[in-house]
Amino acid sequence: MEFLEKNAIYIVMIIVLIVWVGIFFYLLNLDKRIKNVEKEIGDKK
Amino acid sequence: MIWKIFLFLLLCFVSIAGITFPIVENPQRWYEFPFIKGLEENAKIIFFHVPTAWLTVIAFFMTALYSFKYLRKKNLDDDAKSYAAAQLGIIFCILATVTGAVWAKFAWGAFWSWDPRQTSIFALLLIYGAWFALRSSIESEEKRATLSSVYAIIAFVTVPFFIFVMPRIMTGLHPGSADDTNAGPVIDFKMNANMQLIFFLSLIGFTILYFWMWRLGYKSLIYRDKLNKQLLIRG
Repeated sequence: MEFLEKNAIYIVMIIVLIVWVGIFFYLLNLDKRIKNVEKEIGDKK
Repeated sequence: MIWKIFLFLLLCFVSIAGITFPIVENPQRWYEFPFIKGLEENAKIIFFHVPTAWLTVIAFFMTALYSFKYLRKKNLDDDAKSYAAAQLGIIFCILATVTGAVWAKFAWGAFWSWDPRQTSIFALLLIYGAWFALRSSIESEEKRATLSSVYAIIAFVTVPFFIFVMPRIMTGLHPGSADDTNAGPVIDFKMNANMQLIFFLSLIGFTILYFWMWRLGYKSLIYRDKLNKQLLIRG
């Protein structure tokens, strides 16, 4: 904590990483949805 | 394809500039940021934290817009568009809350202190959390789309108030509060032209990114629904 207080730039880095985590979760969700569609197409073929 | 390359380069530039450009007492050169009392190096999170809040507003606006379109035309594709927008809206709303809380830990000493800004975003999370609960509780597609559209339009009425008005007219810790000695809305508090440039580039970049993610989101929803309908017809 003390390290972060003295080197505030790492807080900025943590915040950028959090934003990326959020976008990553959205992609995971999208991926799951598309996989389900693929599975349905596969079943009927 | 061109705009995707443009978006990539823009976000690269914003990330590099936002993190590495130095903060100095008297900015002389084009790449130097001004020193803002009380914010210091932390001020740089404005390039990443504010766009998430901005996207929350855009996303919830698109939710209300396509809800309205759905109610007029009764086209389920519009419902998919509004759902994809709301999904992104809630993700960015959570991101704005979490990134804000991390910053608050170092700027104010605690992750959460019920500042007007934090209270209002918490209320927004509850309002839109209820929207998802409402959707998942209704089985019939048309009924779900109609009810959630009405809710989304009413819910959006609160967004400008919670994001733009309330945190500015009340005293609080967040930059841009009524008693903020740096004065003025968050956007122009002692930013120099260079900082504003990077800030607006960041807003533009994140907005394009949002529309890309949204398009992928609603397309996948629409194709899924189309496929389900075809499978139903074929039996």
